[in-house]
Parts: sequence; C-alpha cells; structure tokens
Amino acid sequence: MTAVIESEGLGKRYRRLWALTECTLSVPAGRVVGLVGPNGAGKTTLLSLASGMLAPTTGTIEVLGGRPGAGPGQLARVGYLAQNAPVYAELSVSDHLKLGARLNPGWDAALAADRMKHLDLDPGRKAGTLSGGQRAQLALTLAVAKRPELLLLDEPVASLDPLARREFLQDLMEAVAEQQVSVVLSSHLISDLERVCDYLIVLVGSRVRVAGPVEELLASHHLLSGPRRDPATLPAGQQVISASHTDVQTTLLVRTAGPVLDPAWTVSGVTMEDLVLAYMSQAGLGRGRRHLEAQR
Amino acid sequence: MTWLAWRQFRMQAVVAAATLAVFAVVFAATGPHLASLYAASGLSGCRGGRCQHLANNFLGQLGGTYGVLWTLAVAIILLAPAVIGLFWGAPLIARERETGTAALAWNQSITRTRWLAVKLTVGGLGAMALTEVLSVMQAWWAAPIGRALGYGGGAAGTLSQGRFSALVFASHGITPLGYAAFAFTLGVTAGALIRRTLPAMAVTLAIFAALQIVVPLWVRPHFFPARQAVVSVASLQEISLTQGGLDGSSFTLHAMNIPGQPADWLLSSGSVNAAGQLVSTTPAACTAPSTEDGPNFLPCLASHGIRETITYQPASRFWAFQWTETAIYLVLALALAGSCFRQVSRRRT
Repeated sequence: MTAVIESEGLGKRYRRLWALTECTLSVPAGRVVGLVGPNGAGKTTLLSLASGMLAPTTGTIEVLGGRPGAGPGQLARVGYLAQNAPVYAELSVSDHLKLGARLNPGWDAALAADRMKHLDLDPGRKAGTLSGGQRAQLALTLAVAKRPELLLLDEPVASLDPLARREFLQDLMEAVAEQQVSVVLSSHLISDLERVCDYLIVLVGSRVRVAGPVEELLASHHLLSGPRRDPATLPAGQQVISASHTDVQTTLLVRTAGPVLDPAWTVSGVTMEDLVLAYMSQAGLGRGRRHLEAQR
Repeated sequence: MTWLAWRQFRMQAVVAAATLAVFAVVFAATGPHLASLYAASGLSGCRGGRCQHLANNFLGQLGGTYGVLWTLAVAIILLAPAVIGLFWGAPLIARERETGTAALAWNQSITRTRWLAVKLTVGGLGAMALTEVLSVMQAWWAAPIGRALGYGGGAAGTLSQGRFSALVFASHGITPLGYAAFAFTLGVTAGALIRRTLPAMAVTLAIFAALQIVVPLWVRPHFFPARQAVVSVASLQEISLTQGGLDGSSFTLHAMNIPGQPADWLLSSGSVNAAGQLVSTTPAACTAPSTEDGPNFLPCLASHGIRETITYQPASRFWAFQWTETAIYLVLALALAGSCFRQVSRRRT
C-alpha cells in the first residue's frame, strides 16, 4: 500500500514557537486515521501542512505523492475541512453546491444532491443561518463531493452536540465506505475517534508520540498491575509508557512486542482511551517537567 | 471561478448600478435645460471681449442649483475610488481570512493565484468602469459650463474652477480610472497584509487620502518643467494685493490668472523689478494718496518698471498631465496587485 501522507522531519514554527517538531510519518492509504491530542498539540498545524494551507519550516511532506496545494491537480485530490467548518454566511446552501460544481472538475453532483436530500437542508437557506451541525455537514458535502482521494477533517465534530456528532460520524463512515477514500480526522476527544478509526496518531506537545494501526497498537500495549516495584527493573523489551503507584501497588502501561511472562503481574488489555491517555500523561511527565525546570 | 467572483460581488454591483442610475436620472433631467441656457446665452459664435461678458452672464444665470449639483457630482466622483478601496478592496481577502472561508476557497480544485486573478479582474475592472462612467456622465452634463469657462467667464464661485484645479483635474478625463484601480488594489493589499477588514479599511483610507493631498500639492506641478512668463502688472485682470508697512511702503501682488490665457495652470507669481529681482517695497512715488489705492496703483507700479513674473503650466498640457497622473496610479496599482499575489501564495496561517 502506498502512503497518503509521508513526512520526514517535518516542523512548523510560528515566530518563536514550534507548533510541530520532527514529525516523521507514513500514513497508509485506505485508512481512517484518528489524529488525537490535547488542544494546541499541533493537530491543526499538521493538517494545514498536509492540505497546503501552510508551508513547513523544516522537513518535507508529501501527500498522495505530491507537494500539498501544488496546482489544481493536487488540490482536486485532497478534500480539506478546516476547523469550525467555514462557509460563506451570505451565500445560500445551493450557492455553495454551485461553488463546488464550478470549482471542481471532478464534482459529483448526484452525490451532493443526495446528501442534501438526506440531510434535509433547505437549498435556499443562507449558510449563516444554519446550525453548527448543518454547517459542518454542508462543508463536509463540499469536501466529499469533489471526489478526493484523501479527506482531511480538522475537528469536524468539535462544535456539535452528542447526537449530531454521532450522526456526522456515521454519515462520514457511509461516505468513506462508498467512495473508498482515505481519511485523516482530528479530535481532542478519544470517544469521537474510537468508533471510526483504524489507525491512530497521538500528537502531544508538538510531537508525534505514537502512530500505527489501532489493532497493532492495542495488541502491543498491556496494562500491568501488581505489588509495588520500580519500573526500571522490567525486562529490556518492555517500554513503560505510564506508571502509577500506591503504597503497595504499581500499575504500568507498557509497550512490548512479546508476551508478558512475569507471574507477579496481572496483565490486562488496553482500550484506545487508556492508550491515548497514557501517551498524553507521559508527555506531561517528561517534557513538562523539563520545561518547568528550564523556566526556573 | 468567475461565477463565484460575480456571486460574491453582487451586493457591490447593485450599489454601483444604483449610483449610476441616480447620476443618469439627475443629469438626464437637468442636462437639456443647461444646454438650452447655453444655446440662449449667445456664447456660440461670439467674438472678442464680448465672450467673457456673455460667459459671466451665463454662469451667473445658472444660480445655486447647478452649482450644488456640480459640487455633489464632483464630490461623488472623487469619493468613489476611496469608497471602492474601503468596501470592495479591503474585505476581498481580509474577510475571507477573518471568517476562515479562505480555507474553503483555497481548497477547491483551483489555485490561489487563479482565484486572486479572477477576483482582482472582476473588482478592478468594475471599479475602473464605475468611476470612469460617472466621470464621463458628469463631463457630458457640465460641458456647457466648461466651455463658458474657456471663454474666461466665472470670476468667482464654485463653477469657476478651471480644468487644472484640484477638484476638476481629479474628477475629469481619465484620472478617476487610475484612482479607482489604485484604491481597489490598495485595499486588497492592505487586507492581505493585515488580514482584518476594519484595520485594512482604515489603512486604505489613510494612504489614499494622503496621496490625494500630497500629489496635487507637491508632485503634479512637477510632471513637466513649468514655463515662466513676465507680464506687465497693469495688464493683470485678477489679482490678490496686500499693502502694508508705514504709509503703504510694502506690497505683495499675486496674479490669479495669466492675462489672455485663463485656462493655464498658474503655479506661482511674484513682482520683480527691472533687474528681475523680487520686490516688495512700494516705489516712493506710488505711496502718495492719489496713487496708493484704486485703479492707479498698478499703473504706477508698472511705470516704475515693476512687472509680474508668473510660473505656469500651459493649458495645452492638460492631457499630458492626465496621462502622466493616470499612468502613475496604474503602475502603482499593478505593483500592489503583484504584492497581493505574493501575499496570497505565501503559505502561512
């Protein structure tokens, strides 16, 4: 399988602040990729770099084998839904569809019309009067109906209520299944991604902490609990992602290729949420502390 | 893309069309009367000194209404480029940035360069066409007034402004077109750089207004080397004269136009003695009560060798000045458009 996003040492700096550093990724095609991390982790920056809205400060990024945003051909192959799903408030819903039809040679009018009917959007309504969910749906329609090979969705459900969230994601999955499009979808909420993603990128503090197929990640991470002990005494193949201790007990989340054989541990599987939280707290412990020290 | 550009331009186009319609209606309603007054004035076919008298009669006859109409029309033509820069130019990119719709527009299957090229073409041509048509309509309507001025009429008042006066020069001929193109691209550039509509509008207005003051006062007079004429002070028709000092021992005399060449653009004037040096001391002989004031003062100065030197641009250069000024503004507009393309293709947030 070829990569939809291939980046090497990718970095982006805004004035003196690095929003993304040393990002090396190879995202395979045909996946629904969840890009997860806390606010300000660099998710929007990464998606903006992939869509060509931004140019990298360091490193390289290739999307579908081409330079992001370079020329109409590349633009036609990537659908990008920016954060907050911007639409023209003064234009009507049908104006937006007309816009999509006029500006995209590959426009699928039938698909767009279908979605409009399904979503029950009044074509004459001004986009400015739509609800957040409807706006997101309209913007998604624009991105999907141009028939891209890759869809980049930046926090598409952030402004939606739980019901609209579920509907939006369901709808998205239907579109994905029909069109066989690769998707990268960012969110700061794991629950949004859990149901739809089969590939995960955890981005914390401007760095990629972990990336891989969800199945593989879940299989290679384990939750260990047992009598209190120093994590440093673990075998070499077991990498501690997070550790918590009480007076008598130690709980570890470890990454390991092989099975955990030590009978002192009670081993259990991890959920996507456990995994993401572990990587987030790891970042907090490691880099955060160093930052504090540096500030003193 | 042209469809989107037009669709987003609809509101502005409606306002522009309404302005044109108002101009057309007002001028169509009053123009024929103005023309008939001119026809009845006897100016066409007049000869010699009578013409100026007839012209003054004609202009005096127009009264307040036409003066007000003339002023209003000129004001609208002068303001149009600024309004275009503020309300068409400044929001063009800034609003897309503010509302985030730039991310929508620039992720369709069309490059930013093409997007901007179409936007600039539609807005720029619209701006130029609107102001130029307004100007042509006003010029058609005011043609009798202009002809009367050509005969040396209009000693004072709104309607007495010659073709080189700041207001007339900037609202007639082809300059409105240059201003419109410049103000529009200035607005777009300010919006592209600042990315917020309101500050971009403020910057656009400040720069455009500053240029509209600086250029007529300090730049335009130097487009071509000025000519000089030395004339007898006794021949001066319109003057500004101040006498001062003890017993009227000093004077300053400025010509308001050049005798026999009323359409020339007078830049400056001053009194010189026989040796060609500027003078401000009244010859003793002219301070006597009999010559100090009234019609005898200027002949007295003249009889003592004092003449008036006048720096001016001849009326025949009007179109050369128009083309020069318009070309300058168009070149600036092109440069600004170029910087817009650079701004838009820079990939930063």
